Amino acid sequence: MPASPSYRVRALSVLALFSVGAGSLAGCSSSPSGSTGDASAKPEAATITIAASTLGDPGRGPALQKLIDEYNASQDLVKVEPASVPYPTFGQTILTQMGGGEGPDLVRFDMPEFEAAASSGLLEPLENKIDAKKLNLIPGPDKYLTVDGHRYGVVFEDSNYGMYFNKDLVPTAPTTFDEFLKAAKDATKGDAFGLAFRQTQAEEAGVWQDIFNYVLGFGGNWSDGTKLTINSPKVVEGLKAYQQLYDANVIPKGADAATFRKMFTDGKIGMELNNGGYVSHVASTNPNLNFSVARIPFPVKKQGALLAPIVTNVNSKHKDADLDFINWLLQPAQQVKLQEVLGASSVATPTERSAASLQKFPFLPALDELTDTGVPQIVEGFGQYTPDIRHVVVTEVLAALQGQQDMNAAMEKAQKQAEDLVGK
Amino acid sequence: MTERNRGPHVLVRSPGPAAGTVAGRRDGLNGRRRRSVTGSPWTPYFFLAPAALYLVVFQLVPLLQEVWLSFTRTTLLNPTFSAWVGTANFQSIFANPAFRQTLLTTLVYVLACVVGSVGLGLGVALLLNGRFPGRPVARSLVTIPWAAPGIAVALIAVWMFNPQYGILTRLLRAVGIDPGASGVLDNPQLALGAILVTTIWQLVPFVAVVLLSALQAVPQELVEAAQVDGAGRWTIFRVVTWQVLKPTIGLVAVLMTIWSLRRFELIWLMTRGGPIGSTRTLVIDLYAQAFESKQLGTAAAIGMVGIVISLIVIVGSQLVARAAAKEA
Amino acid sequence: MRSARLGVTARLIAVLVVLGLAIFPIYWMFVTALTPDENLFGATADLLPDLSRLGVFANALADGKVGRWLLNSFVIAAGTTALSIGLGIPLGYAMSRFTFRGKAAVGLTLLFTQMLPEALLVVPLFAVFRRFDLLNSLHGLILADTAFTLPVVALILKGAIDGVPRDLDEAARVDGGRPLTVLTRIILPLIAPATAAAAVIAFFSAWNEYVFAVTFVFDKSLQPASVGVASFIGEQDTSIQSIMAVALLFTLPAVAFYLFAQRYVVSGMTAGAVKG
Repeated sequence: MPASPSYRVRALSVLALFSVGAGSLAGCSSSPSGSTGDASAKPEAATITIAASTLGDPGRGPALQKLIDEYNASQDLVKVEPASVPYPTFGQTILTQMGGGEGPDLVRFDMPEFEAAASSGLLEPLENKIDAKKLNLIPGPDKYLTVDGHRYGVVFEDSNYGMYFNKDLVPTAPTTFDEFLKAAKDATKGDAFGLAFRQTQAEEAGVWQDIFNYVLGFGGNWSDGTKLTINSPKVVEGLKAYQQLYDANVIPKGADAATFRKMFTDGKIGMELNNGGYVSHVASTNPNLNFSVARIPFPVKKQGALLAPIVTNVNSKHKDADLDFINWLLQPAQQVKLQEVLGASSVATPTERSAASLQKFPFLPALDELTDTGVPQIVEGFGQYTPDIRHVVVTEVLAALQGQQDMNAAMEKAQKQAEDLVGK
Repeated sequence: MTERNRGPHVLVRSPGPAAGTVAGRRDGLNGRRRRSVTGSPWTPYFFLAPAALYLVVFQLVPLLQEVWLSFTRTTLLNPTFSAWVGTANFQSIFANPAFRQTLLTTLVYVLACVVGSVGLGLGVALLLNGRFPGRPVARSLVTIPWAAPGIAVALIAVWMFNPQYGILTRLLRAVGIDPGASGVLDNPQLALGAILVTTIWQLVPFVAVVLLSALQAVPQELVEAAQVDGAGRWTIFRVVTWQVLKPTIGLVAVLMTIWSLRRFELIWLMTRGGPIGSTRTLVIDLYAQAFESKQLGTAAAIGMVGIVISLIVIVGSQLVARAAAKEA
Repeated sequence: MRSARLGVTARLIAVLVVLGLAIFPIYWMFVTALTPDENLFGATADLLPDLSRLGVFANALADGKVGRWLLNSFVIAAGTTALSIGLGIPLGYAMSRFTFRGKAAVGLTLLFTQMLPEALLVVPLFAVFRRFDLLNSLHGLILADTAFTLPVVALILKGAIDGVPRDLDEAARVDGGRPLTVLTRIILPLIAPATAAAAVIAFFSAWNEYVFAVTFVFDKSLQPASVGVASFIGEQDTSIQSIMAVALLFTLPAVAFYLFAQRYVVSGMTAGAVKG
């Protein structure tokens, strides 16, 4: 090197720079502010932002935006605007922003991200601001929103998983797993596939949602509440059923959800296990599709539920405004409208289906009944670790699908890795 | 203007260890003049300061923080709280067999990108350097893949490789190559190949444009003289053209190496590192650690490994270039 | 001549094959965007675009959203280009024409910073940006993107300035020019091609950038096209045609910019683009 720098000076300047940097990081620290809000008081004038992956759906997004516009028109103090967060990096982006001391004021989270954010102090505690009794919140799903004794959100959407089937390809709904497998095989002909589910690494979160139904439906669970049971026989049995369908060549292998859902509305997929939110998508994409929804025909009558709370960011500068919107949304009139937006999902409070939607979708009551047996897609007792356990489990399951290992061995490995994770 | 032709080699080496030789020679030749042209000793800092200040704030400070983070346990959800763990992050990544697979995948990916893009780029450059009708139009159109945004490229590639309806999958099946029911991108034997094809498709135009311009420096008199002497095309290429291109090719190869080590969006959008980790390069691993597992400390440690590898590549290539220069 | 031996026809055929391979994926975006739903999943693919469906593009542009994205992307890319060139010229000049303490360190730093993946620096940069109130703004993104383009640009420009004979500086100096005058009057006009090459590299890099854009900007009105295109990928539904239409609209301005700049670029590459 031609230059002869003074190492002392250089070292000093590096140190100086470093302390500048550390200072700027420290400047981001986010401390939960005291809860001093009164739900009935008028909020200060503010513009707040809301992030919801629903807003990005071509079908449901515009409808939800309309509901938000109604709120904006209903008063002139608070204006709610959508935040710019595309679905493919939704969780990563919001959590990075929140960890950095920023982020949208209101967020509709999926449960795994909700648990992670709640246990890291990124969400505003709401127990003093939300009166569950007065608001008549449905207790079943609501109980999952309390973490370490604090309520961190209210239910935005609670969507049960059912079996969607194209009646032209699958005339009668199967009622047992064997019938399900047979129906899938029978419907696979020509350019149609009997079934579709997610099975690629690129859709890790989606695979988790899909295998949840198999694990629960065969009597398994990822934990017993205090201990991980990923390698338990029932879990493995459910995953083997999932693998059996994969190996039966009844699904469009390698296809992502975007493609096979389009194929479903196009009449090329016989059956799909999906949540109630899918109803409005299917109906709006292809109003003529002859489809119905029934209970998933697995041995144990339990299935996954897509539980999505709406939360207040602890970094929000307008928490009164945030709360004003949440309270508005929880009013009966708005709950009905929100439910219409979301499709066959439930919302925070009991609502009556309108006669019009019941006539359009006669299967809605059957889907609503599933609420009692719905299980949110988290690892019970290990909520905050759900995203990490999900990564481990999905990776091992997919390696088994690829023929790299047997499902028993896969879950033994997953159990061990997950134990290491939560043990730390 | 020989200096101009020599520009590329001189330039590229100067920032690295070779800078000493170059600067030294210049000093010897121009020392007296330089003092008179540069004026005050502060003048260079006047020109340097804005950019240096900028890079310190936006690159060096964050980088030093990453160095520090690599020795801590820090989560994405609370980046202000870090627990010092010494070299534990490095130990754990190197103890993980999956990380060795990641390093191997990265090596294969980078090597194939460099060899593929430089080889094909050279071919395209030679092709476009000849005379044919419509040459200017062809030279413009061939650069389009380079201009296409990575996200758009990934999206169209995923659709073209779609296992049921992708045009490339249909083509492969039509010519008797079965990528398996789940298609190319979900096949651990083929996914990396598909990403490589896509990457190289995008890189070739860049390499071709650079080499095409370097080809303009090939002395035509020499080529013609060799032809008169009855030299074959291959001989002319080897003796004349290759000698002119060699330094530029070396530089392009280093550039392709660094860019390929850094490439993120394309791989992330096409496979996210799957199936079963077969396309998981260092940057994908880093991103997954930081934003999916939320472990900033582990991610930073992976980043440090990547930086060390890049440094080895750069220093190594400069040593090779130096040795080659000495031989010549 | 080699070309004569190879035969113009053979070369032309080879060129057409290469061009076909280069352009086909872009063409395929166009075809896919225009394919009706019922043919998307057919037993065979439609190889020709259904031009009666060109309205897809009009629809994509209709609500102004896509136009807004493209405008934001353009502001970010143009700003990044201008700032990179503005900072890169003096830096390249200093690196090329002066010896000074720490020069080797600066040179190494320039090479070094090119190896850093954006993903590595997102979190610490987020903190820096928050401190300087640069989040949620286009100028903030310009500053972030420039940090990653400036080293390349500076190295290209240094290479180009190395290629300008020092005698010219000296002549200007004799006429009483100060270093700044030498730079602006003598050197800048001579390195215009390399500057164009550097500008193209900076422009593309900022035009494509996603990781910073999605993390540092919160307002929908400030979204650039890279984020906008990604927002077409929905949770329940993704319209393959719409996303291809938007991806194509996102690609075309970059191609147009390149074709506009390329006459300078090709000659500029010799002067130094290589060193990127």
